[in-house]
Amino acid sequence: MLVLRRRAGESLLIGDEIEIQLLAVTAHGAKIGIRAPKDTVVLRKELRITQEQNARAALGPMQKDFERAIKNLRL
Amino acid sequence: MPSTKTKYFGTMAYREESVYEFPWGLPAFDHEKRFVLIESPEHAPLVFLQSLADPELCFLAFPILVADREYQLGIAPEDLAALELDTDRQPEATQALVLALLSLHDGFSPTANLMAPIVINLGTRRALQAIRCDSLYSHDHSLPLATTEEYSGGTAC
Repeated sequence: MLVLRRRAGESLLIGDEIEIQLLAVTAHGAKIGIRAPKDTVVLRKELRITQEQNARAALGPMQKDFERAIKNLRL
Repeated sequence: MPSTKTKYFGTMAYREESVYEFPWGLPAFDHEKRFVLIESPEHAPLVFLQSLADPELCFLAFPILVADREYQLGIAPEDLAALELDTDRQPEATQALVLALLSLHDGFSPTANLMAPIVINLGTRRALQAIRCDSLYSHDHSLPLATTEEYSGGTAC
């Protein structure tokens, strides 16, 4: 991973169309501004992980394996 | 009493009090806004979140403390506000039900999502999936198995 040091107010560019600006840094975190083309999807990574995890969870056990899969859990 | 087709229990009658509204859906299931919570004593503490729109969509879940007795809630103030809960403290067990969704399917080790629990306001029956941003808990928390038997062809993923 490329690691760069930036201060509040400074920016970096990704390609020709994406600008990421560090707006402020506080004890609670960094505030980041993103300028990107409208069709670029910007997501918090946790949201993408949750989408993927939900899609997996939705598969569930097959109907026929359902009781066995549940019994196999130690809860 | 209304009834619905379910993924695991055939056609079931349900009470309106068991229906929970997810006004924002769930990530990857944005259009699923109504679920009935099926509690079956023989499967406790597991519960089932059955979509009312899609009979084939049923999440398995359990109260998050089942996965981790020490679990500390970390619901973001925006999520608490969206559920009309007090935003300056985490809700009590009498105010909100907090469930972890399980991934439990053939060929994979079972896991629970402790990073993004389902939070239900018990007073209003409104719910959402509250994603934590603090990296304290895994979205892929392994669950212990009752036996050493693995699922057929099962490996951890």
